[in-house]
Formats: sequence, structure tokens, C-alpha cells
Amino acid sequence: MELAKVKKLLDNYFEGKTTLQEEKALQSYFTSDFVSPEVKAYKPLFKGFADAAQETSNLKVNLPTAKKRSFKAWYSVAAILLVTLTLGGIYFSQPTLSKEEQEALAAYQKAQDAMYLLSHSLNKGTQNLTYINKFEEGAENLAIINQFTKTKNKILK
Amino acid sequence: MKQEDFIATILPSKDKLYRLAKRLLVSSDEAEDAVQEVFLKLWKGKHKIKEYKNPEAFAMTMTKNYCLDRLKSRQASNLKIVHSNYPTTGNLQKQVEANDGVSLVFKIMETLPEKQKIVLQLRDVEQFEYYEIAEILESNETAVRVALSRARKAVREELLKQYNYGVS
Repeated sequence: MELAKVKKLLDNYFEGKTTLQEEKALQSYFTSDFVSPEVKAYKPLFKGFADAAQETSNLKVNLPTAKKRSFKAWYSVAAILLVTLTLGGIYFSQPTLSKEEQEALAAYQKAQDAMYLLSHSLNKGTQNLTYINKFEEGAENLAIINQFTKTKNKILK
Repeated sequence: MKQEDFIATILPSKDKLYRLAKRLLVSSDEAEDAVQEVFLKLWKGKHKIKEYKNPEAFAMTMTKNYCLDRLKSRQASNLKIVHSNYPTTGNLQKQVEANDGVSLVFKIMETLPEKQKIVLQLRDVEQFEYYEIAEILESNETAVRVALSRARKAVREELLKQYNYGVS
């Protein structure tokens, strides 16, 4: 690059009016081996910027790994699942009846009640049978009385 | 966003973030802490990354803000931290020491106000476009150009002073 052009670019550079391309041209001029003594003072400036851009860091970035995170999330999922399953298990192990089954059960209950009532009244009937026995006893006694009157009648004759 | 995607998006910017942080914090350890911190923050908000037009500019803004906060709290706690950068990160250090003129430029840059440091770093080192710098600094292009011109002139002034002193 001609010196005049370099000087012009330098002026623009210090005014903040150069484009990136122009700045790259300046940088390659000043990092070359042929820098005019007139502008040599600026050499370390552009050399410095070029060097600074080469610096790198050996830093190994530590991110909390996604695996660990999902593991923790899975723990809570497992816990929730366990709680719901146990609660659900307890709930569902209680006999729950469908409508039909409930109706059947009610019918069965009614039938049972009716049978019970029947047998109860039947028992009452058998209890009454004992009176019949007594009556028979009475009737026997009556037969004895009859015999007694027969013999009495014979005597009276 | 998976970790691989995240790393693919952000990792190429790692050294740029590091250089900006180091320009501001000077210590390379602190600069690495800053980058780690910014990566963590970005990772936590990773689902939002795609919403940003320019993830790199966003990461640069975060780094800049983080470093400025660090500098503020440093001032607040009134700690004078002496930076001793042992030449752990290799060649550059040696190059700088070997070339007095270049190390002088870095020393001059250290004396600039933060905003000028950042602008110089973003434009002359990282070669961002004006609009990108404006985005990173949450500013406008005119303000960026003004700050850049001031920063360059300030460096020039010091550089020429030392140069003429060395020559004469």
C-alpha cells in the first residue's frame, strides 16, 4: 500500500470512520516487514491487536450435565408414582361393587330377610303345636271322664 | 436444547468472551471464572437462547456486565488487587515481553476507561461490525464510533509520547 493511502486510512481510523475491510488492510500493512519509517510508531498498535486476537483460554467449561438433572427429575417422578400406586392400591383393594352387583346384593339381602321372617313365623306355628298336644291330653282325659260316666251310668241302672 | 447444541452455539465464542473478560479484569483466572459464570447463566436460560437474534452478542453483553459488576464490587470492597499473571497461558506472554512496543500498547489500554477498553477490544481485536458493538453495549452506532475514536486517540497519544521519548 502507498504511504499516502496508509496515512489517509490512519486519519480515518482515528476518527472511527474506517470500515472493517480498511482496518484489515491497515493491520496487514503494519504487520508486514515493509513499514515506512514515517508511520513506524503505529506498528506496535496493530501488531498488539493482532496478537491479542490470538490469545485463547484452556478453560474447560463445566456445565451441570443434563443426565444428572433428568436423574433428579426421575427421582421425584418415581416418588410420586410410588405414592399414587400405594394409595390407589389401598383404595382399589377395598371391594368396590358395580351397580349390578350392588343390586344383586340388595336382592340377596331382601331374600334373606324374607326367609328369616318366614322361618320365624314358622317357629311361632310350631310353638302353637304344643297347645294341640295339650288339647290331645285334654281329649284323653275327657275319654277317661267318658268312661267314668259310662260306669256311673251302669251303676245307676 | 441439548447440551451438544448449546455447546455448538456458544463454545465458538468462548475465547472472545475470555479475551473481553481478561481485557477488563486483567487476571486470567478471574477472566476464566467470568466465562464459566456466563456459560452457566446461559445454560440455565438455554431455552431462551434461540430467541436471541445473535447469541454471541448476547453472551458478550453478559460477559461485559458480569465483569463491570466484578470491578464495581472490587472498588466497593476497596481492595487493591495486584495482578500477577504468571506465564501459564504460553506463547503470548513471551511474545509480549519480547516486543516492548506491543506490551506498551496493552499497558496503555489498561489505563483507559472501561467503555473505551471494551470498544477497542470489540473492534480492533475481535473485529465486530459497528452495529454488533452497539448491540453488545446496548447503545447506538454513533456512540460506538465516538467512544472508539476517543479510545484510539488516547492510545495514540501515549504511544507517540513513549515512541518519541524512546527515539530522542
